[in-house]
Amino acid sequence: MAEEQVVISVADDQVGDMATVVDALRRAGLRVAEVLDSVGVVTGTVDGDALDSLSTVPGVAEVERSREFHLD
Amino acid sequence: MTTAQDGTTGRYLVLLEDDWSTATVELNRVAGIRAESSAEATGNDPLWDAEGLVMHELGVALVSADADQVTALAQAADEPGPIALIEPERFVQAIEPTAPTAEAEATAVDESVFTWGLQAVGAPNSRATGKGIKVAVLDTGFDLHHPDFAGRTIVSSSFVQGEEVQDGHGHGTHCVGTSCGPREVDSGPGYGVAYEAEIHVGKVLSNEGSGADGGILSGINWAITSGCAVVSMSLGAATQPGQAYSRTFERVANRALQKGTLIIAAAGNESDRRVGRINPVGHPANCPSIMSVGAVDSGRRMAYFSCGTVDTIGAVDLAGPGLDIYSSWPTPLRYKRISGTSMATPHAAGTAALIAQATGARGFELWARLSQTGRRMPLPSTDVGAGLVQAP
Repeated sequence: MAEEQVVISVADDQVGDMATVVDALRRAGLRVAEVLDSVGVVTGTVDGDALDSLSTVPGVAEVERSREFHLD
Repeated sequence: MTTAQDGTTGRYLVLLEDDWSTATVELNRVAGIRAESSAEATGNDPLWDAEGLVMHELGVALVSADADQVTALAQAADEPGPIALIEPERFVQAIEPTAPTAEAEATAVDESVFTWGLQAVGAPNSRATGKGIKVAVLDTGFDLHHPDFAGRTIVSSSFVQGEEVQDGHGHGTHCVGTSCGPREVDSGPGYGVAYEAEIHVGKVLSNEGSGADGGILSGINWAITSGCAVVSMSLGAATQPGQAYSRTFERVANRALQKGTLIIAAAGNESDRRVGRINPVGHPANCPSIMSVGAVDSGRRMAYFSCGTVDTIGAVDLAGPGLDIYSSWPTPLRYKRISGTSMATPHAAGTAALIAQATGARGFELWARLSQTGRRMPLPSTDVGAGLVQAP
């Protein structure tokens, strides 16, 4: 299945312990690109069929597909 | 009460200093006024019956005073003590609607000393410079060799895989120029708002001008850990009417605000108002916690391309100069005129830096001060929000 680029935001009450959430995301199939501590976000890639399971990982608030940007 | 031709009542307002605990004593000592405090319950109504009333919660006294007493109070205002200022009490009236008068349109634009954009935001008349304020511009990078920035400290980082910060496009250099560039340039007008700000360049768009969420979020993260008070993002992705804003970017922006970082983004250029089409504010500017900026021209009309608030989802928060904007460009060209909500955004970001320096405001408070001081225009708030950004 196709690989998806995702951005995952960690719930407010878990932002203090990102490492635990990141480990759980890895076990759920996320290939971690960046862990952004100051904003509580993890970015990476995942196989399409594992995408849905990411939102069920404890401590995850949202999972979104990464958008493309252009100049304004 | 006596009335005067000048609309004053004959009584006086006495503004008290922050510690006004001795106010009633002072008013008596200085001017022989026996004032009552609103904090004390009395039989009569002190607003009309007493020589003076100290409004206990406000730190203001309302007094009846003759010419000698006014002189004594004015003198006390100049000396140390609880009395700060004295001014006549005015009559006020209910505001009746009147017919709107058309504002004379600006015709010729004089850019011999400053760009029209700097003039429109009031930058040349402001004493603020942005000194001590860190501003992050997340874009296509910056021309690190541009001669106008020799001697400026520039902190930079690339979040585009395989590309250096050095701007291979130009857009980023233009935005850094508008937000933080110089006011005095040998070969042309001054073009920068926060000309003493500490410039942080985050390359989140490639030299072809494209990027993705991950790079932009990394840039925002870096800006926050670097202590930037303002993040300027002249980038976006088009949205459809009714499309929800990104919960992730909203959460990030809200966290940023709580940490004292205000994110300002371009509303988007997808509209064509010449044919009557207004497109919705793009991503991520459509997030409530991201300040979105629309574009106006030198006549303070909407730029034809400027996105607007189309549904209840994405709002325009402020407006900035965005048509025909002169700023820096990579050498050898050095300068260029371009248009976009991309150009309005760094005007707002630079102005935010000036206000941050002048007031110490950060985060939510900085947002409030930008909106509070915006110059209202006879244009819909769906297009300009609180109006044209104004320097302190």
